[in-house]
Amino acid sequence: MSAIHQFSESNLVGEVEAIPITNLNFGSVDDHELNTTTYPITRGNSSFEKYLRCKFTDTFTEISNMKFWRSDVLGYKTGETLKTAANVAFATPSATPNADSDIPLNEGASLAIQSAAGTTTITAPGYTKYIRLQLHTTGSTPSGSVFQKVLTFQYDEV
Amino acid sequence: MDNSISINLNSENNSMNSLSFSWRARFKNNSELNQFENGKENLFQLVKDRFTELSYFYLISKDNLQCFTVDLLHGLIFYNNHQEIDYNQLEKKENCRLIFFRRHQIKMSINGKEKSHTIEYHLGFQWLKDGKNQKIILIIDEEGNFVINN
Repeated sequence: MSAIHQFSESNLVGEVEAIPITNLNFGSVDDHELNTTTYPITRGNSSFEKYLRCKFTDTFTEISNMKFWRSDVLGYKTGETLKTAANVAFATPSATPNADSDIPLNEGASLAIQSAAGTTTITAPGYTKYIRLQLHTTGSTPSGSVFQKVLTFQYDEV
Repeated sequence: MDNSISINLNSENNSMNSLSFSWRARFKNNSELNQFENGKENLFQLVKDRFTELSYFYLISKDNLQCFTVDLLHGLIFYNNHQEIDYNQLEKKENCRLIFFRRHQIKMSINGKEKSHTIEYHLGFQWLKDGKNQKIILIIDEEGNFVINN
């Protein structure tokens, strides 16, 4: 009943979509649901970019007020940052460090997410625009696991 | 570096498939519209199309044990049963307009183990007082706990 929400990730040249995805693992290969043991990020490098978007299907009148932010309070390991940009167009993911901003850390500073058409509401089954994410590290980032992060996507529905 | 983010939210485990509350609209001509009728779901758009005709809007729990009522004729919110009220003692509110939406919050955690999808029901009304917009909103969680957000 009501809207069905699914997360989608796009990869590779020409865009290959995976939907629904079951995780958003950052790593050293341009692929969805990658194995981080097989494709770790060497410190000093960045992950391949992730192009995430949301798809709404089924029965609803309107989706609005879409927001995205990091909602945990654990912070980062030294030299580590999670970069993000909202409402971007898909481009072949790159592991070159991008110039995106640090992901917002609270709802008040959250990114406003638009529909694929660039509007603030979705009134028929369809997608949001893309959210680009990339994990950056530096040579001073300690080896091993980084802190667990919680990302939140919020929307209003009628 | 362990940096996986698990989402694992597909249509099978998406909590919005089993809403805890559904709505019922009552119009000034005493006709009613239920969110779920005859095995199908009515779009809220059908209520929006008759917004000025709304008199009462109900949010009813799936187990029928809780009912929130927005009385748009008098500018009141009732919980479960109506109580005896002297409407003359109340501040008169003109042109009360319904506020209703479901706020979804989907959390994805890094290690692939944690996820959550919560829904809050935001229910209330707004009106004009001395030219300024006023509003009263209840925020109701999926278990029926609620707070007033003015």
